[in-house]
Amino acid sequence: MKSKTNKKVIKAAKETVFYLFLTTLIAGMLLPVYFIISLSFLSTREAYQYPLPLVPAIKTDMELGYGERGYLLSVWDRIDKEYQTVLDTADLEKMEYYIKSQLGTKITEEELLIETSRLENSDEESIFFTKPRALLNNYDTFFTVTRDAVPALIRSLQIAGLTILISLSIGGLAGYAFARYIFRGKDTLRFSVLFVRMFPGVAIALPMVFILAEANLYDEPLGLSLIYSVGAIGLTIWITASIFMGIPVSLEEAAQVFGASKFQAFMKVTLPLALPGLAASAMYIFLGAWNETVAAIILTQFKPTFSVVVYQTLLGASGQVNLAAAGGISMAIPAIFFTFFLRKYINRMWGGVKV
Amino acid sequence: MATLEIKNLTKKFGRKIIAVDNISLEVHDGEFLVLLGPSGCGKTTTMRMIAGLEEVTDGTILIGDVDVTELPPRKRNVSMVFQNYAIWPHMTVYENISYALKLKHMGKSEIDQVVHDVARMTKISELLERLPTQLSGGQQQRVAVARAIAVSPKVFLMDEPLSNLDAKLRVSMRTELKTIHASAKATTVFVTHDQSEAMSIADRIVIMQGGKIVQIGSPEEVYEKSADLFVADFIGTPPTNFFDVELKKTGETLHLVHPHFDLSLSPKNAALLQGYDKDRLVLGVRPENILLANEQAKIMSTTVLVVEPQGSHQVIAFKLDENIIKMVAPAQPKMKTGTTIHLNFKQEALRFFDPDSTLAIGN
Repeated sequence: MKSKTNKKVIKAAKETVFYLFLTTLIAGMLLPVYFIISLSFLSTREAYQYPLPLVPAIKTDMELGYGERGYLLSVWDRIDKEYQTVLDTADLEKMEYYIKSQLGTKITEEELLIETSRLENSDEESIFFTKPRALLNNYDTFFTVTRDAVPALIRSLQIAGLTILISLSIGGLAGYAFARYIFRGKDTLRFSVLFVRMFPGVAIALPMVFILAEANLYDEPLGLSLIYSVGAIGLTIWITASIFMGIPVSLEEAAQVFGASKFQAFMKVTLPLALPGLAASAMYIFLGAWNETVAAIILTQFKPTFSVVVYQTLLGASGQVNLAAAGGISMAIPAIFFTFFLRKYINRMWGGVKV
Repeated sequence: MATLEIKNLTKKFGRKIIAVDNISLEVHDGEFLVLLGPSGCGKTTTMRMIAGLEEVTDGTILIGDVDVTELPPRKRNVSMVFQNYAIWPHMTVYENISYALKLKHMGKSEIDQVVHDVARMTKISELLERLPTQLSGGQQQRVAVARAIAVSPKVFLMDEPLSNLDAKLRVSMRTELKTIHASAKATTVFVTHDQSEAMSIADRIVIMQGGKIVQIGSPEEVYEKSADLFVADFIGTPPTNFFDVELKKTGETLHLVHPHFDLSLSPKNAALLQGYDKDRLVLGVRPENILLANEQAKIMSTTVLVVEPQGSHQVIAFKLDENIIKMVAPAQPKMKTGTTIHLNFKQEALRFFDPDSTLAIGN
C-alpha cells in the first residue's frame, strides 16, 4: 500500500518537473514575441521608460496648467504614479505634434483650443483631461513617415513571388529529373546544387553587383529575385526530388496505360500528389526571399526591399525602438499569413494522403 | 478480345545488358498465359514492352494483327494490374475505375453503368466512395483488377499482382482471378515467379531464363515433360531429384548405374535413349515417382532422414552421399527418422537429360 502511494507521489513529482520545464521552455520562446508585439503598441515615451511597461496604456491622462513660456503640459506616469511635466509651450501646433509623436495620442488643435479656453475660464491652476491612446499610431507613423515603406512592401512581395515562380519551375522540373531519370553526371550535378549555397552572400557581393549592373538589373526586383533563386533552386531540387521519389513511377505508368499521355499523367497524378512538397518548397522560398536583408542592402539603392526599410528604422538618430517593432511586426505578418495559408498542404505531406 | 503476337523481341539496357533475347510467342484469343521465371529472367521487361512502358530494342509486337511496337501505351488498348496495384491514392475507388473511361469520352450514365458492373464482378460495390488508403491490401487488389477490366481491353496484363498479398489471400485471389477471367474472356498475360501460382492459374506457361524462353506448354506439359534441367528443377515442389548416372549395356538391356543403384530400363525408355551416344546422363525423378517397394522389387535401400507430414501425404527425405533426395509417399504408413526403406522408380515417368546441354533427351 505504502509503495503504491510512493509511486504516485514520484509520478506526480516527475510530471510537475516535466510541465515546469515545458512551461519555462515555451515562456522562453514566447516572451520575446510578446515583448516585440507589446513594444510595437507603446508610445515613444513609454518605450524609453524604465522599467518598460508590460502592456501599452489605452488612455492618456493629461494635466494642463500655466508655465513660463505658455501652457504647461503634464502627463500621468503609470509607474511613478504622478503627473510629470513634459512640455512648456504656447504653440498649440507643437503641443499637438508632441502629444501625437511622444504620447501616441491623437488630439486636434481645436480640441486643444477648447481645453486651453476651459483653463482660462476656470479659477483652478490647472485642468485635467483624458484622451484614448491611438494604439496603431506606431504602424501609422511607420508607413507614413518612413521613406517608401509601402512601395518597399509591394516590392518585397513581388520579389518573393518572382523567386517562387523561378525557383519552383526550374527547381521542380530539375527535381523531377533527378527523381525519375538516370543521366550522365547526375551525382556531380546533385552535389553542385549544394555547392552554390556554400558561399556567403557578402563574400560574393561585389561580383554580384557587377553582373547585375551589366545586365541592367541592379536595384531591380527581378535582379534580386534572380540572386535569391540561385540558392532557392538548390533547396527546391532537394525537396522536390525526394517528394517525386516518394511517388511510385507505376502510378504514372498506370495513368499512361489507362489512356493518358505522359504530360496528362504528370498533371493528373504526379503533380497533385507532389503538391504538399511543392507547397513546402514555396514556403521556404518565400521566407528566404522575404527575410533576406544583407544582399538586399548591397544590391538596392533607391528601390529597397521591406526588410531593408525595417533595418533602416533602427539606424541613426531617428531610430525609435517602438517604430522598428511596428515595422518588424508588419514584416512578420505576411510571412505568418503565407505559412498558415500553405499549412494545410504541408499537413497533407505528414498525414492525410499517403503516397 | 484479340490475339497477341510477339516476334523476335529483344530488349537491351545500355550496350551490355540483354534483358530479353530474341523471344517469339503467340497468345491465343481469350487465353490465360503465364510468364514464369526467376527474378531477372526478363519476364517483367517483356510485359512492360507489351504495355508500351519500355521501348523495344528489336522485334515486333502485334495485338489483333495491328503492329503496336511504336505506339504509346494509351493507344495499344491494353490494361494492366501492377505489382503494387498503382491505384491513385488521391482519387476515390469510383474515380480510379472511371478515369480511363472519361479519357475515352464515354457518357456519364454509361460510365456509371460500367463502373457498377465491374464493381459487382470484383465485389467492391460497397467501396466505390472510399479512398485507397481506407482499403485493405486485398481490396486494393480488387480495385486494380476492376480498373483494368472496366476498359474492356484487347489484352489484359498482370505483373505479379498477387505477390503483395498474404499467403492465404493469395490462394483465394488466384481462384477469383481465374473466375473473373472466365467471365470477362480477356486475353491475359500474367507474370509471376511463383511456379505453383503459375501451375494453378495458367492455360499455358512460358518459362523464361536469362532473357530467353526455355519452354512453352500447358502446366501438365511443363511438369511432366520439362524441356531441360532448369525447368525440371524450377517446376514442382519439392523439385525434381537428379542423379548422375552411367549408361551401360548388358546384352539387349540398358542399365543406369549409380553408386547406390543399378536400374535396368524398360524397352520404352530404352527406345528414348536410342540416339544418345554419350555414356553419362542425368536422371530426373519427380518426388512422387520414387516408390516404396518390397524387398524383391527394390533397386536400393536407405534410411529415412526427415519426415514432413502434409496431412494428405508425407514428404520423406533421405541422403544419397551428400545429396538430399525427397520423395512423396501416401500418408499411411507413417514413417519415422531412421527407418530403413526400400525404393524403386516409376519407369514410365523417368526423365533423361544431357549433362552437357542440359536439354531433355528423347523428345
